[in-house]
Amino acid sequence: MRNNNDYVTHNCDHFDGHRYNHLNNRKYEDEADICIVGAGAAGGVLAYELSKAGFKVVAIEAGPFWNPQTDFASDELTAQSLAWQDTRLSTGKNPLTFGHNNSGRGVGGGTVHFTGVFLRFHESDFKTKTLDGVGEDWPISYQDLEPYYNKIEHDIAVSGPKHFPWGNYNGPYPYPEREPISANAQVFREGCEKLGIPSVVAPLAIISAPFDGRPPCINRGFCNQGCMPNSKFSTLVHHIPKAIDNGAEVLSDCMVTRINVDKQGKVTGVTFMHDNKEYRQKAKLVILAAFAVETPRLLLHSACSQFPNGMANSSGLVGRYLMPHTGHDMYAKFDHEVRLYKGTPVLATCQEFYETDESRGFARGYTLHAHGSRPVEMAQGLAKSAGIWGKDLYEIMRDYNYYGRITQVGEVLPDINNSVSLGQEADEYGMPKPVVSFSYGENDRKLIDHGVKKANEILQAAGGKPAFTVPDTAHLLGGARMGEDPKQSVVNKFCRSHDIPNLYVCDASVFVTSGGGNPTETVMAIASRTADHIIEQAKAQEY
Amino acid sequence: MEDIRTRYPGYDLLKEQKEWDPHTREVVLKRLGPFPKPKFFQENEVQVLKIIANHLVYDNRSEITDWVIHHIDQSLTSNIGEGQRAPKAPQAKDLIRWGLQAINKVATIKYKAVFLGLDEKQQFGILAAIQNGKAEAVPEWAKVPQKELFKKLAAEIVSAYYSHPTVWSEIGYGGPAYTRGYVRVEIGLTDPWEAKSDAKQ
Repeated sequence: MRNNNDYVTHNCDHFDGHRYNHLNNRKYEDEADICIVGAGAAGGVLAYELSKAGFKVVAIEAGPFWNPQTDFASDELTAQSLAWQDTRLSTGKNPLTFGHNNSGRGVGGGTVHFTGVFLRFHESDFKTKTLDGVGEDWPISYQDLEPYYNKIEHDIAVSGPKHFPWGNYNGPYPYPEREPISANAQVFREGCEKLGIPSVVAPLAIISAPFDGRPPCINRGFCNQGCMPNSKFSTLVHHIPKAIDNGAEVLSDCMVTRINVDKQGKVTGVTFMHDNKEYRQKAKLVILAAFAVETPRLLLHSACSQFPNGMANSSGLVGRYLMPHTGHDMYAKFDHEVRLYKGTPVLATCQEFYETDESRGFARGYTLHAHGSRPVEMAQGLAKSAGIWGKDLYEIMRDYNYYGRITQVGEVLPDINNSVSLGQEADEYGMPKPVVSFSYGENDRKLIDHGVKKANEILQAAGGKPAFTVPDTAHLLGGARMGEDPKQSVVNKFCRSHDIPNLYVCDASVFVTSGGGNPTETVMAIASRTADHIIEQAKAQEY
Repeated sequence: MEDIRTRYPGYDLLKEQKEWDPHTREVVLKRLGPFPKPKFFQENEVQVLKIIANHLVYDNRSEITDWVIHHIDQSLTSNIGEGQRAPKAPQAKDLIRWGLQAINKVATIKYKAVFLGLDEKQQFGILAAIQNGKAEAVPEWAKVPQKELFKKLAAEIVSAYYSHPTVWSEIGYGGPAYTRGYVRVEIGLTDPWEAKSDAKQ
């Protein structure tokens, strides 16, 4: 019986009890059945499920194989390295910030530094065009994902309330809800209660009792800086070690730069860089799970004579319909201490404003979270995004412990002009840097205004004095959306590209709409469903 | 200003350092100095940047400012990316270097003195103008978008300043919390080692 810590070293090649700091002993150097690009939320699930089914799986990850004990720290500055920091050129009317709010780097990807909020999409999320005349319908329904939502929640022992009052699933969750909740979560729930708005303890991928050799949460509060006790789920501590046990190989610190095809236009594998040297990985099937910026970027950069506009791009939609979530932070000052640093950052949530309500004057909706904050995040948001500095900043931060905060996670409607494309400048690997363009639409702005107002009402009802709003976004979805029509989408409902039968895209880039809540559970449910599909197809000798 | 600096007089989070994990202790204690000579910045640049840092965070204690400068110097000498950048803005190294030159140029045109020779009010005025993209026209602004410069300086200076353990103690932040975490997280409760509020103000 090996211990999880055995895997987490800064070697670059990892399989069956072998770890090397070079690439001379690769397990599947000749050929793998399946090559997964990116070992994050989706890549981790795919590597686990497909290796369990007996495939020869190689997962290639651009960043390191983290060791939580020696690489993570209880410190915001140090934890910046857990985010994808390679420069992205950001433009549009509302240029996006990249880093901790949306993208991870290293084995585990964004799950290493996410808040652990674990929410299902609602049935309406999959048919916004039919129901509300906005966005586009997905080629799948809530019912298609339901068994996978159930499976994932049990696989990682999600903690949550006995009764969850919104959407299709009303609980109970596999593990009991977290208790006690933080002062900021208490304030949030009190405010909601005074206004007659239901709220719950948030469903979290953070264990409330021992599970699978991992201890329960100690309320350290550094979920976004990487969990050191391993109480928070990540694919780094859960799926990837199990995938390695199942026979998978993980190549870390390896940046995939190109997808390779043969003369018939079938994918033959990928090219990647490690330590300034180029390598190849042959595979019968390639799955891209590299995030909503890097996946479209790789498809576009892999243009070749057979696919002059980029791979899987006959629709011209690779990189299009990119969607963040609105992530505005509303702060209020209280006459008692709240101490935003204590406890899991999100311990209470509310989806009362999730579904379309025509009387509000906009389509779709949002989730509100009680959301803790640490000094750097709060002060940097104030200085950079709210324009507060000097004496004003100093006076606010002196009273840091007296502020409470609510964050909106709101739906952003898909717009073809919000996109990832290739820029003129090259990065360290010789690949063109991605250019990401984003502008809010009118519906998005109305939804933000409503959420800001509602959050301030809740804070006020709890005795707080609304103080300031810091504009922000979270997550990033779309860029290779799924659909039935090859002219209107990049992949089909099983994440298989319309153009190339042995190329799959399976990560947040396949999202058709954004939903109004945290997307990680849906990313993982889609990955689990895609894995099942690939297993079935292989049995039928489809590849 | 010193009398209102903190609501937690007497709280020193460094007294808890034995409770921290070794990696966290190592990174936090390094912020107390001493710091090596800057690798990226020239001495004249350091002087201007120190004044800007002091104004942005409203604090002129040199032991903290030295850490802030060291941190920025380190991040500008590293090859790690900057997350995102406006396509019209140069990379961080150039943005800040050219930006500091532009700031001196603005001071010279407006007040016939270098930035360091101005009084605080004049210095504040120039920073506020840059924040709004409305500083005096000088040729340097053609390649240095003013608002991008302000945001970059603000992000770098503020994130380093609020990572200094002295500042953590002053604002009553609990700081590193591994391996012990928190037991008392609800309203009005604190663990024995946390900062205790003085009389309500």
